[in-house]
Amino acid sequence: MPSSDVVVVGAGLAGMTAAIALADAGARVDVVARGHAATHWMSGGLDVAAPRGSVSSANGLARLASYPGHPYAFLHRDVRPAIDWLRAILATEGLTFAGDLDQPLRTVPTSIGATRRASLLPTAQAGALEPWKPDERLVVCGIAGFKDFWPGAIAASLERPWVWGGTTDAGDRRSPAAVEALVVELPGIAGRRNLTALHLARVFDDPAWRVEAFGVIAAALRRRGPGPGRIALPAVLGLADHGAAFDDAVRALPLIPFEVPLISPSVPGLRLFEALRAGLRRRGGRISVGEEVVRVETAGRRVTAVVAAAAARDRVFRTSGVVLATGGIAGGGLIGRADGTLVEPLLGLPVENPGAGEWLAPDPFDPAGHRLEAAGIRTDAALHPVDGRGRVAFANVAIAGSLLAGQRYLTERCGDGVAVASGRRAAAIFALEGARPPTERVKAGAGA
Amino acid sequence: MTAVEAVDVLIIGGGATGAGIVRDLARRGLRCLLVEKADFGTGTSGRYHGLLHSGGRYVAEDAAAAVECIAENIILRRIAPACIEDTGGWFVSTPDDPEDYADGFAAACVACVVPVDEVPVAELLRREPALNPQIRRAFRVPDASLEPWQLIEANVADARAHGSEVRPYHRVVAMERVGDEIATVDVVDERSGTVTRIAPRAVVSASGAWAGIVARMAGVELAMSPGKGTMLIFNQRMTDTVVNRCHPPDDGDIMVPVHSVAILGTTEVTIDDPDDYGIGRDEVELLMEEGTKLFPDLRRMRLLRAYAGVRPLYQRDPPPASADDPSGVGRGISRSHVVLDHGAPDGVDNFVSIVGGKLTTYRLMAEETADVVCAKLGVTERCTTADEVLPDQGDGRTYWLGHRLAEHEAEGGGDADLICECEMVTRSALDGFLDERWPCSLDDVRRGTRLGMGPCQGGFCTFRAAGVIAERASASLPPEAVDRILLDFLAERYRGTRPIAWGRQLQELWLVAGLYTGVLGIGALADGAGEVDEPLAAAQPGAADHAVV
Repeated sequence: MPSSDVVVVGAGLAGMTAAIALADAGARVDVVARGHAATHWMSGGLDVAAPRGSVSSANGLARLASYPGHPYAFLHRDVRPAIDWLRAILATEGLTFAGDLDQPLRTVPTSIGATRRASLLPTAQAGALEPWKPDERLVVCGIAGFKDFWPGAIAASLERPWVWGGTTDAGDRRSPAAVEALVVELPGIAGRRNLTALHLARVFDDPAWRVEAFGVIAAALRRRGPGPGRIALPAVLGLADHGAAFDDAVRALPLIPFEVPLISPSVPGLRLFEALRAGLRRRGGRISVGEEVVRVETAGRRVTAVVAAAAARDRVFRTSGVVLATGGIAGGGLIGRADGTLVEPLLGLPVENPGAGEWLAPDPFDPAGHRLEAAGIRTDAALHPVDGRGRVAFANVAIAGSLLAGQRYLTERCGDGVAVASGRRAAAIFALEGARPPTERVKAGAGA
Repeated sequence: MTAVEAVDVLIIGGGATGAGIVRDLARRGLRCLLVEKADFGTGTSGRYHGLLHSGGRYVAEDAAAAVECIAENIILRRIAPACIEDTGGWFVSTPDDPEDYADGFAAACVACVVPVDEVPVAELLRREPALNPQIRRAFRVPDASLEPWQLIEANVADARAHGSEVRPYHRVVAMERVGDEIATVDVVDERSGTVTRIAPRAVVSASGAWAGIVARMAGVELAMSPGKGTMLIFNQRMTDTVVNRCHPPDDGDIMVPVHSVAILGTTEVTIDDPDDYGIGRDEVELLMEEGTKLFPDLRRMRLLRAYAGVRPLYQRDPPPASADDPSGVGRGISRSHVVLDHGAPDGVDNFVSIVGGKLTTYRLMAEETADVVCAKLGVTERCTTADEVLPDQGDGRTYWLGHRLAEHEAEGGGDADLICECEMVTRSALDGFLDERWPCSLDDVRRGTRLGMGPCQGGFCTFRAAGVIAERASASLPPEAVDRILLDFLAERYRGTRPIAWGRQLQELWLVAGLYTGVLGIGALADGAGEVDEPLAAAQPGAADHAVV
């Protein structure tokens, strides 16, 4: 008798979405992951589709859906309902988002003083999404002793309107009227060095301390004089008590605050993961992070068990179905070989790789991207992996997230949309097909 | 152009040899100027495997070079201890190496006064368990690892202390001859574009693989055979000792532990242009294949990057081409150096070139060159560089691996600002370098501090260092210049990762690319024009790129 209806391998956005959807449908689900995933180093926002030239996520989505071989070619109708569904689940866990797929993609500032385009951000980052009024200024506020946010450099860079994308077709500027830098010494940590984002986030979880800290920032802002505007802060405003911390910031500060995501570990990403995990546990799902899946047991074209290397011994999860959400190259779901090929290490699935044997592009940030980016596992519309001739390799395995072939999450900014849509579809497919196979097949598999 | 600057000696080239020459001549009382077209140690001196030769490598084929190496090895341990990690070295016979070479090795070492001990293989494997257990014999020699940039800085500092001047980022653009002498040399400041005219009594070219190009400006033909050597950097020290194959010198036969990494060298490919060469996948594969004979698990270890240097090979009378080496050059060319007095044969009396050689013998090369220059200028002072310890050599002990950590602890440990975690570069170390060297690039900072040389290859420290620079220089530095500093360094670090982009390092590269594009939006700076309103056709890869293969 299987211990799980479905085992999800990988605890990134795709795997967690699939697991929540499965648990929501009443399945017994286990998430097993080697470690934390892209949530912990990405921005905490949801990038659905922002290929160059697209004006909104919906517009970008439609464009990517027209590319043969792109996951959106068969997933695009799932994206909108899946995102709405996930937002509701995250909101229950205290993590709310602003924006939608239809509003224009806007340039929001980053912690190197550049911009990126977004339309769906956590509430704490959403202050950057609103169009700038003609008299609005931006204060970039850093914390003394924190090495991952340099307000002087950021402000100097953001003073250039072209960094924000110049003006709109209507002639309105996309940038604030002025950008200035501010560094504050916060109580209790003044003189400290080598502060990390995590350390600061945990300090902001203390309600008494943060009231004092926001008081210091508010006083510094008032000394700068009146006038409308917003204040950009490093994304460290609380972890466990983030919602209340951000509300305190809004109340205390004379300018509209918003967080700017940082280099990893990403505090907004940690919040996202924590909300996903809470959503999963609320539905009875189980999760084991730090247990690397080392092999699977199979019977014919079905996976019957997933074996993870736990602390003292291997742990065997007998299962009727597997969602493989191990990520792409960055996540370790695909491993590059010296000969320029990629392998999928767990099931040995055939990897579609348009860049096989080639070197990467000479320019690391080539706007056209690297061909290798589009590598991944080809599936049918039910997300079952297929071989080069289109035959299903494993009938009870579904692929979700950045392991899917045909997407370029760097150049197309579509990774989160693909993850959520494919994760939820994988769950739906298992519900539809019935993850539990006939009993005799399980028996056959158990002896394998 | 305004005034003409008169100096005793103009030295062209800021590698170890040029730095050694300016130190040597300055100590003999001459007022010198050294010019280097880029930063110090950006040419061959900074692009080698990091070995301080014992001489063992040359005992069988080139006894003279071996004798020079061991003599200089002993001198450098005395005058430059802070630049040396006393790793010791092994010559090991793998099953792929000829037995008779090992039979004659110890005797050849003794003949060249290179200290050697044959050690039981069990003892070797106890000390270096990652080595191939099939190794049959092992000889211990006094190899070590030598930090080139620190060595160059120390030589330059001593030259300055003795009244000479050095200018990085100054390129020689023209020479004017009057009769049998170079009368003036025009030098352009690569950063400001200003041209200065120098009137030297003598000119020394210590420009290594570029010596032919420099000589041509003086109307002298000098045929160099630049030899490219490719090396691979692993992110761990699988050995704490230098390991050489006990066989005739060949590709991929040495591993040198350097700071926190290990470097596998080298290949040998003759090239035409020392400024234009790439690294081939075949070279990387060859190095891996040969390296696996020393360390069987090498393919499971993580590679950080590949890089290449250009040997300043020179041969007065090239031998006829052979079947093995159709060009008649390459490994057959002596690694010894030659001081070329361009007086009698070439008709330029005040011009000397130093070619060939190796980092280990840089001081001797400098001494011999300085002797020739002094004879021309009627200077009778003797060379003192072998006796006087270089500046900033601490308490005379050699460098040790825990050095950085000890400094970090002394600065406050956990509360010291670490800008580069991989290489433990603190804010104060970075500030110290910038105080002295600004304006400079992050690549210059890297050579001075090792910033960005660890596993993430600049992924996490680059924007911090750029932030520090931007905040220090906010009044004088436009944001476009900061963009350039950031982008150039990321591109430079990427260049070395590209030839070995597989396994863990490909994963790291993807992580860094994801951070910089997805979270930090570097595309907006790289474009120089924001990300919005790109014409669709130009910006979007065609649907064909997405076709199912």
